[in-house]
Amino acid sequence: MARHDSRVGYGLPTLLAVGLHVLVVVMSVITLPSREPEATSSSVVQATLVSTETTTDQALRAEEARARAAQRQADEEAAAAEAEAAAEAERQQAEEEAAQRQAEQQAEREAQQQAREQQRLEAEAEAQRRAEEAEQQARLREEQEAAVEAERQRLEQQRREAEQQREAEAAERQRQAEEARRQAEQEAEAERQRQAEREAEAERQRQAEREAEAERQRQAEREAEAERQRQEEEARRQAEQEAERQRQEEEARRQAEQEAERQRQEAARAAAEAASDIDSLIAGEQESIANARQAEQAANSFQNLVRNAVEQAWIIPAGSASGLEATLRLDLLPTGELIGATIVSSSGDGAFDRSVIQAVERASPFREMRQLPPAAQSQFRQFNLRFRPGDVR
Amino acid sequence: MNDSMSIPHLIMSASTVVQLVMLLLTVGSIVSWIVIFQRTFVMRRAKRTHLAFEERFWSGVDLNELYRETPSEQETHGAEHVFRAGFREFNRLLPKTRSPQAILDGVQRSMRVAWSREEERLNLHLVFLATVASASPYIGLFGTVWGIMGSFQSLSMAQQATLATVAPWIAEALIATAMGLFAAIPAVIFYNRLSSESSKLLGKYEDFAEEFHSILHRNLQGRGDSDAG
Repeated sequence: MARHDSRVGYGLPTLLAVGLHVLVVVMSVITLPSREPEATSSSVVQATLVSTETTTDQALRAEEARARAAQRQADEEAAAAEAEAAAEAERQQAEEEAAQRQAEQQAEREAQQQAREQQRLEAEAEAQRRAEEAEQQARLREEQEAAVEAERQRLEQQRREAEQQREAEAAERQRQAEEARRQAEQEAEAERQRQAEREAEAERQRQAEREAEAERQRQAEREAEAERQRQEEEARRQAEQEAERQRQEEEARRQAEQEAERQRQEAARAAAEAASDIDSLIAGEQESIANARQAEQAANSFQNLVRNAVEQAWIIPAGSASGLEATLRLDLLPTGELIGATIVSSSGDGAFDRSVIQAVERASPFREMRQLPPAAQSQFRQFNLRFRPGDVR
Repeated sequence: MNDSMSIPHLIMSASTVVQLVMLLLTVGSIVSWIVIFQRTFVMRRAKRTHLAFEERFWSGVDLNELYRETPSEQETHGAEHVFRAGFREFNRLLPKTRSPQAILDGVQRSMRVAWSREEERLNLHLVFLATVASASPYIGLFGTVWGIMGSFQSLSMAQQATLATVAPWIAEALIATAMGLFAAIPAVIFYNRLSSESSKLLGKYEDFAEEFHSILHRNLQGRGDSDAG
């Protein structure tokens, strides 16, 4: 049988072989990394700290603490600002109060002054009224005098008229009778004398009246003067009292001002104290952050030590299922001695749980606890361990 | 786990000797696979050719016609090669000697030579597969041992020996063994399979040679009688 292609070449096999290897490499690169953890898991025990106090949370806690510190700082600043604002407000209030008080005092003073003014005005008005009254009286008196004068003049005129009449009558009578005239003259003389007497009498009376009037007027004037003096006296007394009150008020205001000043100083001192408190708090916070970082590192190493010790001491009971998982709570003394180990979440397998407790008891005491900083020590006084056997049994 | 434990990363970070070992094993694996594929194809074709030739041979066709079907300059394989070598020797000896024994001896000798060539052709490169199958685990182990030696040397510098510090070194070293096994296992399997197939084929060629020899012997018997008679 004729076979022209009887010889098998090496091209196709080479291609196939290289392709196969490339395929294997690609598969190992793509799929093996995901399967790698199971394949290379050399840890028999995977004990993990799952306490809320573990170091895994410490970074977070430190962060939180920092955040809290920052917040507290901000709060403090805000509080300080508030205090300052409050002090400011208080001061302002005090100032306002003082101002108000001052205003009140001023108002009072003004009112008093006004009152005084009014009183003075009243007094003046009174005095004026009195003066007016006096003037009126004087005018009345003058009028009366004038009236009296007028009366007198009238009377005089009447008398003159009468005299003229009488003269005329006398001339008539002279002319009519000379005889009668003498008699009449005598009579007229008598009459005249009588009239003069009467007039003198009237004059006397009028003078007496005038004198009485003057006397009365003088008395009134005196009275008015006395009144004015009394009033002035009163006014002076009142002014003195006013001055006294003003002095007292001044004194009170000064005291109030001193009080306000003292309060302001106290507020300032309190603010300064608060500020120094904040500074010390910030410093303490930074220190505690540094401590926390240190404690975190120490706690990490302590966590590793505990885990390694427990891993080495753990004898997994034969025949226990692979998916078991138990969580144990450890209570430690500060020296690292184990007080108690209690199962928090059981695996459901009694033998497994007992082996876990025995592992912890065998691994204790954890002497490294003493080398931890106190902050980390308190965190590890009580913590949880989760036991989960790896795939290697 | 993480990126540092992935296989490519481990290979790249290995020491030079281990990397050379890995390279050698990779080349061995590739070549052995080339051989595996090539031999598989050769064996399959030889088997098919042998079946076709046997069917043709036992179909009652005239031997001279069968011989003349393929030109003498064309190379033939398997049972056909054996047949052609024997029949050519038979035709050449037939006019020269009258002794059937001498002719049969010459035919048998030439057929053995042809069979031996076929054996050589079928078993070609199978020795390489055998070498890869037996040697690559040792080569891989050498890489592993060398890598672990290096890891322990560098471990002596470290203060604290934990599993985490040793693990990458050992993983890196073990990759050499893994690669050695990766090359050796297919080589072993296919060496066994291919050598058994080739010996089976060679047995069939031998059987065919014997049958052809008996046919020629039968023909010479009659001719010898007629010649003698």
